Amino acid sequence: QEEETFTWKVQSHWPGASSSYKDSLGRLKEQLEERSNGRIQLELFEAGSLFKAKETFNAVSRGILEMGTISPAYASDKMTLAGIASGLPFAFRNVWEAAYFHQGLGFEEMLREEAAQHGVYWSTDKVYPTEMVVKDPVESLEEFKSLKIRSSGALQKFLTEAGAAASYIPGGELYTALDSGIVDGAHWGAAQGAYSMGLYEIAKYHVQPALNIAGTDVIIVSQKAMDKLPEDLQQLVKDVLNEQFWYRTNEYQYKERVTLAKAMAEEGVQINTLPDPVQDHLVQTAQSMWDEEGERSEKAAEALAMLKDFLGDLGYL
Amino acid sequence: MSIEILTLLFFGSLLFFVFLGLPLAFVLGGVSVVFLYFTWGFDSFYMVASQIWSTMGSFTLVAIPLFVFMAMILERTGVAKDLYRAMHLWFGGLRGGLAIGTLVICAIFAAMVGISGAAVVAMGTIALPAMLERGYDRSMCLGVINTGGGWGILIPPSIMMILYALISGVSVGKMFAAGILPGILLMVLTALYILIRSSLQPHLAPALPPEERGTLREKLLALRSVALPVLIVFMVLGSIMGGITTPTEAAAMGVLGSLIAAAAYRKLEFGLLKEASIRTFKLTGMIMWILFAAHAFSAAYQSMGAQALIEEFMALIPGGPWGVIIAMMLITFILGMVLDPVGIMLITLPVFLPIVESLGFDPIWFGILFVINMEIGYMTPPFGFNLFYLKGIVPPGITMKDIYKSVIPFVLVEIVGLALLMIFPEIVTYLPELFF
Amino acid sequence: MRAITAFMNGVTRLNKAIGVGVSFLVFAMFVFILLEVFLRYAFNSPTVWTNELTQLLFGAYAVLSGGYLMAHRGHVNVDLIHSLLGPRMQAAVDVFTSILFFIFTLALLYFGVDMALESVSSWETSYSAWNPPIWPVKVCIPVGTALLVLQGIVKLLEDIAIACNLSYYQPDDHPEHDPKGEQL
Ligand code: NA
Ligand code: NA
Repeated sequence: QEEETFTWKVQSHWPGASSSYKDSLGRLKEQLEERSNGRIQLELFEAGSLFKAKETFNAVSRGILEMGTISPAYASDKMTLAGIASGLPFAFRNVWEAAYFHQGLGFEEMLREEAAQHGVYWSTDKVYPTEMVVKDPVESLEEFKSLKIRSSGALQKFLTEAGAAASYIPGGELYTALDSGIVDGAHWGAAQGAYSMGLYEIAKYHVQPALNIAGTDVIIVSQKAMDKLPEDLQQLVKDVLNEQFWYRTNEYQYKERVTLAKAMAEEGVQINTLPDPVQDHLVQTAQSMWDEEGERSEKAAEALAMLKDFLGDLGYL
Repeated sequence: MSIEILTLLFFGSLLFFVFLGLPLAFVLGGVSVVFLYFTWGFDSFYMVASQIWSTMGSFTLVAIPLFVFMAMILERTGVAKDLYRAMHLWFGGLRGGLAIGTLVICAIFAAMVGISGAAVVAMGTIALPAMLERGYDRSMCLGVINTGGGWGILIPPSIMMILYALISGVSVGKMFAAGILPGILLMVLTALYILIRSSLQPHLAPALPPEERGTLREKLLALRSVALPVLIVFMVLGSIMGGITTPTEAAAMGVLGSLIAAAAYRKLEFGLLKEASIRTFKLTGMIMWILFAAHAFSAAYQSMGAQALIEEFMALIPGGPWGVIIAMMLITFILGMVLDPVGIMLITLPVFLPIVESLGFDPIWFGILFVINMEIGYMTPPFGFNLFYLKGIVPPGITMKDIYKSVIPFVLVEIVGLALLMIFPEIVTYLPELFF
Repeated sequence: MRAITAFMNGVTRLNKAIGVGVSFLVFAMFVFILLEVFLRYAFNSPTVWTNELTQLLFGAYAVLSGGYLMAHRGHVNVDLIHSLLGPRMQAAVDVFTSILFFIFTLALLYFGVDMALESVSSWETSYSAWNPPIWPVKVCIPVGTALLVLQGIVKLLEDIAIACNLSYYQPDDHPEHDPKGEQL
């Protein structure tokens, strides 16, 4: 008896040239197809092909798409945990901490429960830092406060509260805006993001520490599509997604470092470590903003309390 | 059903309903819905609504009503008229002088906007009546505006170049630099065509009779009317280059400039503003409903497996590296007739780029060819968007047939330009190598 | 019959009135963008709300234009075959092609309502730095589409009347009788 084949339409939020399109989605496609002996087939669509990024969660939730990738921020309307998932500024200091928070302490499970209410199976693709590039190094708090930064979402609010002038500029106009000096700095992922957008051509300082470290890329699967699979394939999908998290988190770290080294060698990029007064100011501003995210729901309050305990255990609070 | 047959049916029904006279927006939308039903089911109609919502959220498009509004004010206050009068006094002795002047204004406009529709509509408002009034041939005028109006995506800043850079991974800065010389080349070629054509057939673009060319004093006085348009260009371009605004925001500077001009002409009154805003609404709405449906259409076509079709097709191409490049140009050209540029890029580039690079071609050079080709696609019958935008602005007497016929020589000129860039790739690569 | 004429003229007048009102939004977009540029450049203090508000206004502006355009014959088409036909044949062809118009607009209306209801049920906001409500703009999709559908019905009734030589349609401002109809 011939076994049924399942073809899934997968809408990406990464453009084709983005490293994650191949490294995350390409890997997922290869793993699922190979390990299911071809019983699951993924049909990949680049960012914006069928649905725009902000519509992908709805399409997966309705079962029109079987799978998609998003940033948690694009699901903020449905997910009260989205704000914490997409990263509270200046919470974690290392990538492994964010990974442990998701997988070891059960934040991933909480996300999964909330997404399930919308017919979506949530699986974080990886945790990684978001870092800024600037045209001139930041040497003092005053200089930080005089910066004009291209930002978006929660970080835009954070940078504004911290005294910088943060404005949203669409990705397509970012390069020109940075080049002509409409903004002095921007964040687009971290090193790989900045490199892919050509930002190092015009902004030579890579700012550290990270603005946040979080599960900013997520793979979502329609529960309807999942239910149509036989038991063994359902388990296979979940296993592959779980492995994906660890594999990609680690690989991404490696590629960040390699890309940054390349940018330093080829483009003369330098690391600009924020001076202590600036860092202290940013941490204070950040902590005063965290509580807002906890107010969205009971679950969010619970997650925030868990996060604070964890950071306390680490000796950061 | 195979994607080949679907493609034939998809484009066939498009052709059928468009020629029966149903507005383009409804044909694109209706055909998408019908095909989505048969390939993906009822629920997939959600995609149509979702695409419209996403298009409403594209900030770049906000430049359309603003630039159109600017043009409407300039036209109704008489600023545009005086500009053309001055141009006529200075260059009227030259056959085709006004058409070439229009091309220059188009190029300046193109340097201010990154998209195509706004310039076609704006220049159609400003330049078309001015040229027709002075006895220029209808086809000549329509062709000039269609070509020049489309340069918005060819001369930086250009949304298409940015998109190409995002999909291909080449540098945006290099793409912009690479676009400058080809833009100038196309302008020179088009101007040459106008000069030659109008010296052979003077009635197409008549020179001003010597007795009407005016004295030096009259010419100098007429220059006053150039000051305001120059001020506007300075405000828009200056604010982009000076790091004051993004290209989209610069459109608002253009409106500000046109309001200042209206005040200088003592025409800044409610009646004029009201009329300008209503005409702007009508033209922006026309463009937006076409875009709404076009985005739904290309998403529907992609969902049917368009990319796989392009892949299969490319595998069949004989004729070595140049055969492949020319085939890619043909595919882009044909798709350019019916899909929006973003859709074309998403469908073709993932297939094309690896091939282009494996054949050893420069992806930046290819990107410029691709963008020019898409600009040509915008103005080729039957479905070039620019043709429809122009149809929305012309006086009632001008039919689609007039517009269709008018573009043919201009398309041929652009194809010559494209061929020159293939033969002399240095025209594309010189500046990026110099700057970076 | 009088009811049909009243319906047709009523819908057309409604669309024209709405269009004139909405058209003024272009001033708001202009002012907000200019304000943002001014605040960012002169005072180094960009706002979180100007560009997003402009964007939302633009969305409503664009989607609400459908019916107004239809009332003014502003949706462009290819008139190659039309121009060869007499008015009655033209109208008959338009009756036929209106099938595709209604397929598109009714599908859009159905899912537009669906999308808007979902948005209203959570009083959806944008979750940007400014976080404004976006449900009113989503509601504009079914509203704009409904206005377009209504005007489409008017056009259909008119075409049927012309094709079959019926007399129920006595327009009070027929675009063909309105010399500026093409321009405005
Ligand atoms: Na341009
Ligand atoms: Na075309």
